[in-house]
Amino acid sequence: MTPDTALSDRELMVSRLIEGPRDVVFEAFTEVQHLSRWWGPDGFTTTTRTFEFSEGGVWEFTMHGPDGTDYPNWIQWMEIRPPDVIVLRHGEGPDDPEQFSSTFIFEERTDGTRVTLRSEFKTKALRDRAAEEYGAIEGANQTLDSLATYLTGR
Amino acid sequence: MARARTTADAFNAIAEPHRREILTLLKGRERVVSDIADAMGMNQPAVSKHLRVLREVGLVRVHPEGKQRRYGLDARGLEPVHGWTGGFEEYWSESLERLNTYVKKRQREEER
Repeated sequence: MTPDTALSDRELMVSRLIEGPRDVVFEAFTEVQHLSRWWGPDGFTTTTRTFEFSEGGVWEFTMHGPDGTDYPNWIQWMEIRPPDVIVLRHGEGPDDPEQFSSTFIFEERTDGTRVTLRSEFKTKALRDRAAEEYGAIEGANQTLDSLATYLTGR
Repeated sequence: MARARTTADAFNAIAEPHRREILTLLKGRERVVSDIADAMGMNQPAVSKHLRVLREVGLVRVHPEGKQRRYGLDARGLEPVHGWTGGFEEYWSESLERLNTYVKKRQREEER
């Protein structure tokens, strides 16, 4: 998969240029001491119970929201190809029927590393729900949203 | 805090009014650079610069047509903008922003 492959209606994608060399950016995904410093939105912290960064290995952790709400998280690494690709399964636990698959792609750029995340959900309905409620964070920017709606005529 | 680069993501790219105007011009039909420049009263190099930013974040596509290049909207790039009203998009935009801050901090520490 490349970042440019067309998105299906079961996928969501985000992409961001990170201002650092690819090995440093990739490393930030491989250890709890790094992950706990950035994983999650503003104001969130994580408590890790299990962590083994290997194909088939698992990361079990709780995310603590700024309002005190706890979110159980369970991640299993499916594919690790340093420094290009990480594929993982993500859900609330190993038996969560709503688990989804996430692929992180790391590309070298002259001014940094482009990190692209593509997540694939089991159904379009699950994808749509994640787009609106994932992480249960309230947020809105009506100006941008209506601009986007206007531009695409949706 | 330093401002994010215009090519960091779609949001930074469309923070610039001329680029929003270009997107509006491309709504519904493809155009060549000279056409866009005329419509906006700008010179072609300036328009080309904006188009490069918009292409980089996936908001605009280019189709070569003989000697000319036609530009059109790329709805793919707008997905993040659509999704930004919370949920997945905000979660990951904020996480990757934090990752960026963390990576920069680690590099500064190594330099010491």
